[in-house]
Amino acid sequence: MYLIKPQDHTRRAFLRRSAQLAFTGAALPTAINLAAMGEAAAFNATDYKALVCVFLNGGNDNWNTVVPYDNTSYDQYSRVRGGGSGRTAGGVALGQASLANTLLTTRPESPLPGGRQFALHPSMTGLKGLFNLGKAAIQLNVGPLVVPVTKTQYEGVNRALYPIPPKLFSHNDQQSVWQSSSPEGSTIGWGGNIGDLALSSNGTGALFTCMSVTGNAVFLSGDNALAYQISTGGAVKINSITNNVFGSSAVKDAMLSLVQQTRSEPLENEYNRVTQRSIAAEGNVNSGIGPTAEAARLNTGTFAPFANLTQGNQLAAQLKMVARLIAARTSLSTKRQVFFVSLGGFDLHDNLLAGHTTNMTRVSEAMTAFYQTTANLNIANEVTAFTASDFGRTLTSNGDGSDHGWGNHHFVVGGAVKGAAFYGAPPPISVADGSAAEDQWHVGQGRLLPSASVDQYAATLASWFGVAPTELEGILPNLRNFGLPNAVDYPINLGFL
Amino acid sequence: MTIAETHLIETLDVPNAEVQEGRDSLNIGTKAQPQAYAGNRVAPGDLSLLSLAALAACGGGGGSETPLAAAVAAPTGAVPVPTAAPIPVTATPPTVQTPVPPPSPLPAPSPPPAPAPTPAPAPAPSVGLSAATNEQAARFLQQAQFSSTEGEISSLRSGTYDAWLQKQFALPVGQTGWDWLQQRGYGVNDRNQYFFNLALADFMVWNQLLTGADQMRKRTALALSEFFVASLQSAEFDWRSQAYAAWWDMLMRNAFGNFRQLLQDVTLNPAMGFYLNTRGNEKEDPASGRVPDENYAREVMQLFSIGLVQLNLDGTEKLGPNGQKLDAYTQSDVTNLARVFTGYDFDRSVGTFIPRKSDDSGFEPYNLLNIEFTRRPMVLNASKHSNLAATFLGTTIAANVPGATALNTALDTLFNHPNTAPFFCKQMVQRLVTSNPSPAYVSRVAAKFVNNGQGVRGDMKAVWSAILLDSEARALQAPTTLGFGKLREPIVRFVQWGRSFGFNSASGGWKMFETTSASEKLGQSPLRSPSVFNFFRPGFVPPGTALAASKATAPEFQLVNESSVGGYLNYMQQVIEIGLFVAAPAGAPNPFTGPYVQDITANFAPEVAIAPDAAALVARLNLVLCAGRLSAANATLMVNALNATPVTAASSNDQKLNRVRAAVLMVLACAEYLIQK
Repeated sequence: MYLIKPQDHTRRAFLRRSAQLAFTGAALPTAINLAAMGEAAAFNATDYKALVCVFLNGGNDNWNTVVPYDNTSYDQYSRVRGGGSGRTAGGVALGQASLANTLLTTRPESPLPGGRQFALHPSMTGLKGLFNLGKAAIQLNVGPLVVPVTKTQYEGVNRALYPIPPKLFSHNDQQSVWQSSSPEGSTIGWGGNIGDLALSSNGTGALFTCMSVTGNAVFLSGDNALAYQISTGGAVKINSITNNVFGSSAVKDAMLSLVQQTRSEPLENEYNRVTQRSIAAEGNVNSGIGPTAEAARLNTGTFAPFANLTQGNQLAAQLKMVARLIAARTSLSTKRQVFFVSLGGFDLHDNLLAGHTTNMTRVSEAMTAFYQTTANLNIANEVTAFTASDFGRTLTSNGDGSDHGWGNHHFVVGGAVKGAAFYGAPPPISVADGSAAEDQWHVGQGRLLPSASVDQYAATLASWFGVAPTELEGILPNLRNFGLPNAVDYPINLGFL
Repeated sequence: MTIAETHLIETLDVPNAEVQEGRDSLNIGTKAQPQAYAGNRVAPGDLSLLSLAALAACGGGGGSETPLAAAVAAPTGAVPVPTAAPIPVTATPPTVQTPVPPPSPLPAPSPPPAPAPTPAPAPAPSVGLSAATNEQAARFLQQAQFSSTEGEISSLRSGTYDAWLQKQFALPVGQTGWDWLQQRGYGVNDRNQYFFNLALADFMVWNQLLTGADQMRKRTALALSEFFVASLQSAEFDWRSQAYAAWWDMLMRNAFGNFRQLLQDVTLNPAMGFYLNTRGNEKEDPASGRVPDENYAREVMQLFSIGLVQLNLDGTEKLGPNGQKLDAYTQSDVTNLARVFTGYDFDRSVGTFIPRKSDDSGFEPYNLLNIEFTRRPMVLNASKHSNLAATFLGTTIAANVPGATALNTALDTLFNHPNTAPFFCKQMVQRLVTSNPSPAYVSRVAAKFVNNGQGVRGDMKAVWSAILLDSEARALQAPTTLGFGKLREPIVRFVQWGRSFGFNSASGGWKMFETTSASEKLGQSPLRSPSVFNFFRPGFVPPGTALAASKATAPEFQLVNESSVGGYLNYMQQVIEIGLFVAAPAGAPNPFTGPYVQDITANFAPEVAIAPDAAALVARLNLVLCAGRLSAANATLMVNALNATPVTAASSNDQKLNRVRAAVLMVLACAEYLIQK
């Protein structure tokens, strides 16, 4: 059968992976490392934890999301982005006064250096509240890196010593790099690899270990874990295998056979495997989140935070489904889950101010409602949501938008988060290409050179989830290049959890 | 049966959303003016719209591994042409396939990849070849266009494949989408606000795809719309449906033309101009720090011409001395090329605004730019064009070169780049024939792009002919070669179904809405890609599958998930049974208020006529829908299921119709149909 067999997620499964490697001859370091670790690689959890990746498709504009606020930094920001006199809005710069209500307040023990202050986009009042309450943190300037590099090393020619991530600034490739450490054709993501380790914890609920509410994403594909994809309306029940078809029960039975039969032709077989999964899971999912199961939750207002949000917030609809699935964790038999949701429309080469306001409103409302719902479910400390995106954007303006960049600032939200704090160093604000110290933090037009890698970010999340230190390198191939004993600026654990 | 029970009413998921939202602040003025973001119409529960996350691979990246079905031997000689081939309804038994092996935990991986061969001397294309059987004819037709009806099979078998192609190339373009919208009355500015109604473009494109004799042109235009992607999903300007009709018409016009002209028309098209921000793009301004918008400059290289990495003619990646892939361009190339695309805007030379109708009292006045701009290329405003020198891809455009000259130089550079032929041609092979063409196949097609035989580069007709007549496409064993072929994408399935069974709008209004919802409809809708990266990536490898183990690409599988497989079956069952109910089918004035009428329906009369013979019925569907690829085992399964409910010549029409409906649904659900080989 197609279904993941939990008992397989031990040594035997790893050996099978090794066998696959012999066939493909392709480099799959992840599988090799895991195989070497054998059964130790799996962990057995009895409590519940969930990671939720919120992917912002198109490359979120970091400069107008986590906005420099102190006068010195704001003036530098405003000068490049075309702000008006008297610190008013202009060009693609937000006005300083409009940011006052979303100014972030850090814990006394975690002040930013040099008097730096940041405010969130004015529409992000919800996330501002969570940050100031200590339920959200911001990781500054994180992005794909192979090894730590300086600007000089980036611009140099010694790629053997200072390799850089492939295909920088390209949407589809950087989405893939963020999710899987490699560009085109990648089929294994770190969310899926984390799921691999959690499969045995989930027993009969193994199929629900990795769930996407937004279509196909390499992030959730592991060596064994599959990305189960669900719509915001729940699982789809296939009418023609459930009810008589045009009056015929024989046709219904034939349909049931046709859509699930094993095929020798690989393309045919893969299609039917998906249908098999769809049919097998539909009943479980819809009973877990169906009207009967949810009646009590609805009556007690568990999902009330999702009511009355701005219309058309697809991210909220997706996160509400995640919350419903978490609420159904007992009937789905899940202990460890990795979710993937996304929102599009961030590639704002044009119309940045208006488009970004729409997006930031949606992100803030959806993530805030999600946090509050997990609090209602008494599970907030066991659920961590985090943002990711293709890349950050240029500080320079192209008239009314910004172009593709590299490093970005990201949110981590949940009861376990060491919130009201920034992690990583605030980058200086410059678009100059000189030799001054403040010019060394970007690679042209204010594209941030990351000072923390996605591997570190992922390792911090995975460690909280229960992945052992020895297992991290198998999931994150570049992690070994960070956290060296003398490299205090690049710790394996960034500390926000 | 009431309408409410059917759930088939064609209506807006968010009623009048695009009519109402964003109206006040919308403008088509200069780039700097803010525009309200009008929400896309996203059905609740939709899954696919935001699914661009798994953009696993970039175009051209097939790598050097041998595809699953590489190097198929050429067919042994041409088959004699039968004269006046009759099309017996039950003529051919289903192809017998090898028995299905027992299930195993994991499908066996393919053999280890062999190194890519250097392009072999091209075997002669099958110019003189004709279809020896109805199944072969149907198979060719399903690659070259959408449907293979008995009439179309008969027509093809009256000559060679090549003769059929020449006939298609010579067919005139039918009524344009733009003219159709005007004819339907959608060009007026009144309280119905057609200028901001996206659904009109859906009506337009469904009508285009489902009707008309110029079917091969439409099939190839659809393939082009998935290479040069502009999407209705983020079109937010007045007369946007008309602009997308003009976009579609432009693809249709160039489908049998030349790639160079196509690239230019894409670049200057107003819908694309809005989509990738060439419209309103301005030169650098040192005072404010403004720099040219890089969006189009990047995507025209990455997606519309050369791709990310350097390619050989056979589509495999060139490797450097250390075995590394070689970037096709750098960030500096993007920044420089962006200067070329500054200074463009919609053509306002027609100038006059269309005022609201004077008799439309009670409706807030709103003047609009003349609708003509939607079908005119964007125009250059020299004062906003960058005069800096631009150096990219080894070409330098000197400072102060006039904008039109600079554009020509830039597009010539892309057109003549060695990557363009294999990058484009491989993806067109994937769209029409197979997901994993051999490098030799790609090189043969790309060679025709480079030179059509008469010294012309970029001849699209030569490309289509090379794709469809290639020995790998026509190989007689291809239908049984494991891994050869592709998943039929949902739009193509639907249009094939519609054209096979006379799916027609009785009123001519074609008020069929988009089908983006994966959980409730097709999970794909023409001209509505979720992003510029199309519905699926050419290098997509379905994770966790036997295909991934062998590094085989299967682009269309990016749309396959636990929701979409059921959404497709449920939707098809509905349209098979009762078609689509639409509001006020005759069209204008207002397409969104009732009464609802069952207007767009299939006609199964020919199938009903043979319904009492279940075997004959299944055999007919096998030919028309599957090109005869249904296995004997599955044909028997279907026939037995149908015979469980006796139908005789004396049965009622409804009883016969139900049998036909059941048979069609079973075939559409069968993996042997879904995978086109």
